[in-house]
Formats: sequence, C-alpha cells, structure tokens
Amino acid sequence: MRRRESDIMWGLLMVSPAIIGLIILNIIPFLNSVSLSFMEHDGLSDPIFVGLDNYKRMLESKEVVRSVGSTLWYALLSVPGGAFFGLVFAVLLNDKIKGKGIFRTVFFSPMVVAPAAIAMIWKWIFNTDFGIINYILSIVGIDKIKWLTTPNMIIPSLAIVTIWSSMGYNLIILLAGLQGIPDHYYEAASIDGASPFRKFFSITVPLVSPMLFFVLVTSMMNAIKQFDLFYVMLGSTSPSASKAQTLLYLFYNYAFRMHEKGYASAIVILAFIILLLITAFQFWYEKKWVHYE
Amino acid sequence: MKQRRLFSLLLVVLMFVMSFSGCAKEETYENSNGSKENTSGGTDNEVSKTINQDEITLVFSIWGKVQEASMVALGEAFTEKYPNIKIDVQVTPWGEYWTKLEAGAIGKSMPDVFWMHTNEINKYVKNDLLMKVNDSMVDFSKFPEHVTNLYTYEGEKYGVPKDFDTIALFYNKEIFDAAGEPYPDNSWDWDKLLEVAKKLNNEEEGIFGFLAPYEPQAGFYPFVYQNGGTILTEDKTSGFALPETQEAVKFYFDMINEHGVSPNLDYFAENGNDTAFSSGKAAMMINGSWRILPYAENEMIAGKFDVEVLPLGKERATMSNGLAFSGSNISDHPEAVKEFLTFLASEEAHIIMGKTSPAIPAYQGTQQYWNERLEGYNADVFTEMLEYAVPVPTSQSKQKWLELLKLTLSSYIQGDINEEEAFTYITEEMNEILETEK
Repeated sequence: MRRRESDIMWGLLMVSPAIIGLIILNIIPFLNSVSLSFMEHDGLSDPIFVGLDNYKRMLESKEVVRSVGSTLWYALLSVPGGAFFGLVFAVLLNDKIKGKGIFRTVFFSPMVVAPAAIAMIWKWIFNTDFGIINYILSIVGIDKIKWLTTPNMIIPSLAIVTIWSSMGYNLIILLAGLQGIPDHYYEAASIDGASPFRKFFSITVPLVSPMLFFVLVTSMMNAIKQFDLFYVMLGSTSPSASKAQTLLYLFYNYAFRMHEKGYASAIVILAFIILLLITAFQFWYEKKWVHYE
Repeated sequence: MKQRRLFSLLLVVLMFVMSFSGCAKEETYENSNGSKENTSGGTDNEVSKTINQDEITLVFSIWGKVQEASMVALGEAFTEKYPNIKIDVQVTPWGEYWTKLEAGAIGKSMPDVFWMHTNEINKYVKNDLLMKVNDSMVDFSKFPEHVTNLYTYEGEKYGVPKDFDTIALFYNKEIFDAAGEPYPDNSWDWDKLLEVAKKLNNEEEGIFGFLAPYEPQAGFYPFVYQNGGTILTEDKTSGFALPETQEAVKFYFDMINEHGVSPNLDYFAENGNDTAFSSGKAAMMINGSWRILPYAENEMIAGKFDVEVLPLGKERATMSNGLAFSGSNISDHPEAVKEFLTFLASEEAHIIMGKTSPAIPAYQGTQQYWNERLEGYNADVFTEMLEYAVPVPTSQSKQKWLELLKLTLSSYIQGDINEEEAFTYITEEMNEILETEK
C-alpha cells in the first residue's frame, strides 16, 4: 500500500468508533423520530400511519405556538445573557489580579454540578413564601415576587438560573480566546487615549469573536432544547406551567404522560427545524461580524 | 511508526468501549440480608440467568423506595420455600418506572414480576404482556373486590391484589389544643368541617384551616361521591354534567377562594401539601392511608397528629385504590413466576407486608398487623372506611381527561373562568374524549 492510501485507511480506522457511535446513537434515532412523526403510537401497540395529521394538529394548536414563543423568549434572554456575563468576567479575570485561579474554579463549578441538583436548590431560592430572594427583598421592603408561579416570570426565572450556570463554561472558553489577543494592541490604544469601553468594543470583541460565535451557537442549541430545568423546577403541579412550557417539555408530556409518541415526534421535528433555521442564520451572519486572522 | 498507530488505535477502541460501559447490563444474583438495590438507569434488564441446572433469579420491579425493604422481605421469605429461586428487587422512581417497563416490553426483556397500576394496565393487557392469574393461584374471595376488579379485563384477571388505600381526614392535634377545639369525630359533616377550618385558620401565623390542593383521589373526589355525584357515569359519560358533582367540586375549592382557609394552587405548587402539613402549617387535610406511616416516622409531626373518618356529606364515601403484582407473559421462567405470584397471594405474604410496608395489605384479616404499627393513632379508620369506599374511577383515556380536569379546574380556581364555563367545558370535552374509547 502506498503511503497516502495507508494514511487514509488509518485515519478512517481512528474515527470509525466515533462515526459508528454517531450513526447508532444519533442518526438512526433521528430518522426513527422522523418516521414516527407520521404515525400514531402509544408506545406498545403497533404504530398506525396517519400521514400529515400530527403536523396539521401541531400548527393549529395554540399550545404549540405558545410553547415556541416561550422557548424563543427563553433563548433570547439566556443566550446573550450567558455570553455577555461570561465575556465580562473573562475580561475581568484576564487582568493581573490575585487569586485568579480560585475565581476561575468558583465560576466554573456550576458546570460540574448535576442540572437536577441546581434546579432543586434554585427552586427553593425562588420559593415565594420561604425562599431566600424574597426574604432579602422583604428586608428592603419590596413585596414578594412570585418567581415560579406567575406565568410571565417563569421564563425569566429559568433564564436567570441558566445564565448563572452557563456563565462559567462560557467564561473559560472566552478567556482562552482573550489570552490570544496580543497585549500591544491594548498598549497602542492606550497611547492613543482610548477609554476602557472603546478598547472593549473595538479590540476585545472583534478579536474574541470566533470564540463568542462558538459560545452563542452552542448556547442557542441548549436553549432550544431546554427541558431539565423546567421539569425539576416546575413539574406538573404548577398551574402556570402550562402557560410557559418549553418545546421539549411539551414533547415529554405527550411522549411519556399522554402516550402519544407520534404527535410528540412531530413536536421534536419542529424543534429541530427551528434550531436548524436559527443555526443557519447564525452561520450566515457570521461572515459579517466574526473576524478571523 | 506502525507501533504508534497501533497504540493510538488501541486507545480509540478503549475510549469507544468505555463510552458504552454506561449501558452495561446489571446482573445481580442474590438478595442476601442487606437489600441489594439496583437502580440501573440503562435500558437493559436481564430477565433471569440460569446459573446451574435449577437456579433461577426472577427480576421483581417496583417503584417507591420506601417499600423496598418490604418487598425484599417478601423475596427472602419466598426463597426460603423455594431455595432455587431467588428474587432480585429493583427500584425505579415513579417518574421513570413506566418508561422503563415499556422499553423492556418492546425490547422483550421485561422484569418477571412487577407492580401494576390501574393507569397503565390496559396497554399491557392489550398487548398480551401480562400473565393471566387464575383461581388456582389466588383465592380472590380473600381480597377486596374493587381492587381485583381494577385488574380484571374482559373477565380475566391479570394481577394479584397487593394493597388497598382509603382517604381519611388528617388533623394536627397541637393546633386544635392551642385553640381549645375538640378533635374531629365521626359525627362531623361538611358544615362542621368548614366551621372548624375557619376557627383554626390563622393568617398571621401562616396556619391554614384546611388544605385543599388540586388532587383528585385525595382531594375533591371523595366530596363528589359524598354529595351523590360521580366523576364517570355508568354509561361512561362525564359526571360533571351532574349538579351534585358540580356542587361538591365548588365546595371543595371554595376553601381557597371563598373562605380563605386553604392556600392557593401556587402555594401547593411550590411547597406541596405534605410539607405544609408536616411543618405544622395546617390544621386539617385529607390524605391517603399511604401517608400515615411516613408521618408517624417524621419527627416533625410524629405524635402531633391523628386521623378520623371523612366528614359526612349526603352520604358517607371515600376513595379507594390498590396496587397489584403482575407477572410477565414473556418471561423465560413462567413456572417460577407462577409460584412467586401464588406466594404473593398468600396470607403469609400479606402478613409480612402488614409488618413492613407503609401500604395496607389487601388480604382479609392481615390489616391488624399494619394497624399494630400505628399505636397511638386512630389508624383503624382506614380499614373501617372500606365499607363505603368507592373505587377510583378509571377508563382507557384517563390520562387525557385527568389532564383536562387539571387544566380547566386550575383556570377556574385562579379565577380565569367562572364555574359555569368550567363545568360546561369539562363536560363537553370529557365526553368527546370518552367517545374515542368506544
């Protein structure tokens, strides 16, 4: 075998486990979902083919439309929020301050805690009558806020938790990006009399933009797929939950509580399409604002 | 160069294999004195392994960690009679239990014996997954008829009754004492309940007279039946068309809005009625027999509460449900499953449960063992109420109309729609849903 062919063969061999995993665990189940979306299936009996019925029902359903709205609103709040705070703290931690390592560890620690644990603790923090936030507010004289029981407050509350927990991860990535920016750019700007804000927006942001792009794309994907926070913090007992459900929580309801797996699959395909469109847009827009050297 | 590549390939394969270790099959062969708990999250469930010629292990699947010790005791007693058959108790939390069972059914590797619930039994029977339980295995005359009926389908029985529950009035003795109010007794009626709830309600201290969460079985259902109403009529239409049903539902939820003696739904969503009661924030509530032992073991409320029969409406009524043990029809060891089911239907098994489980055993006469563990409490009432207990209404599309009830009634309670709109809507939609069953 010639050298080049041998290289190709070895290369394929090395990636084959990952590719096999991808096919078995991602691609095949996905195709399964697509085909299920055209059927009616209670989980055990044979699926019945129903054509586009599920999709028709979905597009006419107020519940689904509201759910899409809630999910997008959640994405709009948590994605830029997480990226922004990640960037701000990354910039602050980029300076020569004492205890940098400790701060980084502290900021990153939410990432190693199980999402369910985070959700349970925050659920108590947000508790209307006994939670610590309302307690502190009451000392200052502000009325109790019903964080998780007012329909309009649910998504912002979840966004707060998400920003808090994803900030650390974003921070680490952006910090890596920041450290790639040569110091002399900042020095030159200082000499020219630029303010910290000017430096931030004209030097930092453009040069860290590839990392920022990555953070925005991955955060957006997680936001559209939001389920576990909602499930643990709100569950099925809250009467307001049905007004602010995220798409994948709606999916869970239909798939595992109502046993309508066909309809649930259609919902999942909808989520997939939405995510696809958003990501395509992000990649198209990338050319306009991301600077690569 | 070749060596490096081989080494890299080895690492890649290792990585690949390790990433699958999370889905490993869990095999446990014994359940010795310590309970061998197995909460595998993987989708594989080894049905049984034949080690040597006659040794069999049956997988026994349950939810409810709190009953695990009890089930293990059953398994051990069984193995004493049949030394070659061991029982492996596996606990899966309620939220995942049915998903896992379903996956097992599809993958043809269901547990051998498992708890069954009326919500789900239809699916399994339709797909021929449950073993028929006949009279040679079980003496059905020893069990409450209504529990047996829940697991009967087209004349055939598919479950061995395990327990039954009833709903009673729980009250906080300390709150009653502090107000100098006599404890509830069996002469109470709806008016008395409301009267005392108002007296004991104390907004300043955050103490509620009566907890009225959104709960069907342990909430408004008993009131509906006490008023002569029903949730499902005999010809399978919505009972919400009846004025008796509507009156009762209104009476119950008026506790929240009209009389202010109960917290609202938001409070329950965040805190739950159990927590509220055990933290001493409620004078009274209604709840199921499955809660009394946990409360008796909860130092915050132990000894400070008691139970009484439900107040009288136009007639006496309470709700009753029950779980059953079912056997897999696709098990590799049908004979062993039959033996185990037969054992589970015996008086001995129910005596064991009476002594160890928080649920009331179903076999006639074994309830005393359960009652004995609750000295100092009026626990006999749970078994007494069986006389006038109504089986929890169920139908194939129950999940759908339960969801409908929850959403619509929640809107009504929060004042988004008025009662007329609520009941009319519920009746229409519920009838539509029930139509699909025919």
